[in-house]
Amino acid sequence: MAAADALRVVIAEDSAILRDGLVQLLTDRGFAVVGAVGDAVGLERAVADASPDVAVVDIRMPPTFTDEGLRAAIALRRERPEVGILVFSQYVETRYAADLLAGGAAGIGYLLKDRVADVADFADALVRVASGGTALDPEVVTQLMGASRRTDALAGLSSRERQVLALMAEGRTNSAIATALVISEGAVEKHVANIFSKLDLPATSTDHRRVLAVLRYLEG
Amino acid sequence: MSEPEAGDGWVQVRIPPERTDQAKRFVRTVLREPFQSRSWAELGYFLASAVLTCVALVAIVALGGAGIFLSVVFLGVILLACGLRATRGLGAWQRTLASRLLREDVTDPEPFRPRPGFFGWLRSAFGDRAAWRGVAYFLAKVPLTIFGVWFALSVWLEALLGIVSPFTGGHGVGRFGFLGWLADAGSGNGPDTGFGTHVAVFLAGVLLLFVAPWTMRLVVYLDRQLMQLLLGPDAAASRVRTLEASRAKTLDAAAETLQRIERNLHDGTQAQLVALAMRLGQAKDKLDHLDVADDPADLDAIRKLVDDAHRGAKEAITDLRDLARGIHPPALDTGLENALATLAARSPVPTEVTVVIQSRPSPAIEAICYFCAAELLANVAQHAQASRASLTCAQHGHWLRIVVRDDGRGGASVNRVGSSSSGLAGLADRVAAVDGHLTVASPAGGPTIVTVDLPTHA
Repeated sequence: MAAADALRVVIAEDSAILRDGLVQLLTDRGFAVVGAVGDAVGLERAVADASPDVAVVDIRMPPTFTDEGLRAAIALRRERPEVGILVFSQYVETRYAADLLAGGAAGIGYLLKDRVADVADFADALVRVASGGTALDPEVVTQLMGASRRTDALAGLSSRERQVLALMAEGRTNSAIATALVISEGAVEKHVANIFSKLDLPATSTDHRRVLAVLRYLEG
Repeated sequence: MSEPEAGDGWVQVRIPPERTDQAKRFVRTVLREPFQSRSWAELGYFLASAVLTCVALVAIVALGGAGIFLSVVFLGVILLACGLRATRGLGAWQRTLASRLLREDVTDPEPFRPRPGFFGWLRSAFGDRAAWRGVAYFLAKVPLTIFGVWFALSVWLEALLGIVSPFTGGHGVGRFGFLGWLADAGSGNGPDTGFGTHVAVFLAGVLLLFVAPWTMRLVVYLDRQLMQLLLGPDAAASRVRTLEASRAKTLDAAAETLQRIERNLHDGTQAQLVALAMRLGQAKDKLDHLDVADDPADLDAIRKLVDDAHRGAKEAITDLRDLARGIHPPALDTGLENALATLAARSPVPTEVTVVIQSRPSPAIEAICYFCAAELLANVAQHAQASRASLTCAQHGHWLRIVVRDDGRGGASVNRVGSSSSGLAGLADRVAAVDGHLTVASPAGGPTIVTVDLPTHA
């Protein structure tokens, strides 16, 4: 929790009950909630005022209750790329996720609101996004996988490798993937190496390649 | 002229002034008619449409005949289909003629919407009612045109020939028709046509000039009727169009309702449940990290979280129940009597309920009836400042009449001005969708009486 001490969070969520709940939960976990607003305009102002590390953004907000949160998030990414963005929604919209990830997956998260019930996971995701990582809901990953336009690039992967890649897309580390799939970390590393070579990714720093693999996988 | 005195021996014939006016107007009309552009336009129309009818007849006979003759080979079928498509075009020309020259506007029939593919096109062409009705029009137009030539065009011709006869020396009057007969009768007097005959033929021509516009008008009138009957949209098609429009409206309303429900679920119950899960998650998290020898402060925090979650769960249940009732009131399952009684009992304004129904209306009508009553009672509670209200629902044959009356301040209106009345306008739309009516009587100072009539089955 010591690492979270420094993290400054802005929350944009129109439902008061959820907003208050989030503020309480994050404060409780040691985050510094530096702004809690109910719409996209408020988000813009709060980010300008408080310079947060990460913003939690609801997609559906006033006035039209469609995708103003998403549009605000994309604008925020363009203007202040250093701020991590965790989009937070009741539904997964493939197009929204694709729009959001169009500029890269670093520092981006897209979670279903349900995930907040697992407080520790949610807090981890927020920390990950704030530090430039990725946190995608398994639901998002599944849908993007289904909507993938260039499946041939992924066709060469074995089903196990696909599982590993999906978990990578969710933003998990090798050890977390090993735990989730009940295999050894060494096995995960082997799968990851296979994925890199099959997707023909250049041998630069591993983290960069992970992001590239995820993007390749998501954008298909 | 001085008014003759009664009793001085004159027989008095009093013509009421309006009668003389009418007579004057009639004479003026008859005298003017040959010089009105309308009469000449009708003559022009008759001639032009006669030509068009000839073209159409040739096309129908040629293409139809050839098509039927060749229908043993496939080409014949195609010819027939082309002929039908052409009839539509001819019909359009006919409508243009009518609108230009007669100012008779015939609505275009429903457009040709071919099915995809060549055979689809072929089937659509044969099934095109507008084209077949066009064929019927031109076939019916043939006898009408022949009748028109005999009954109206000949009168015009004779009138003109008669008038010009003094200048042509009687040439061209011809051997036929009324003038021919007159000339023949005249020539019986001597070897040459006498002066008297010339005068008679001229006068007859002038007389016919004043008759011709009217005979032509009759022919054109018959044609107008024929066009409206066969060249416009047919009754079945326009009924279909009306139904399509109302179906579209119903679908829109249904989609709107679904959207409203989704919004309510999203903003209400879903958010509440997420908040609930969040609190429980927090509590669980705290319990996981609870040391055996922990201070009671953490326990208190956990208790508070569980308390909040418990309250949230109860709120979610209430909201969900209200929402479900808004979608379909469970009380309706046992009939309107129960549902309306329940509704009135929930109303904050004391409400007397009378329900007299012999047979159950269809579920859709029951639902509309229920929601009308609910909305009206809610209006009474919100806006009327009433102390009492009554709700009656009575069946009269195939109609259901719902009357909501209150002793409040009145001033309610269906018009969409002001926020308080928008509910009534929405209700009126909903009622109109099943061919019902909603009327509001609400003078300032009250009382307000809203009457809704609904068919028992829709």
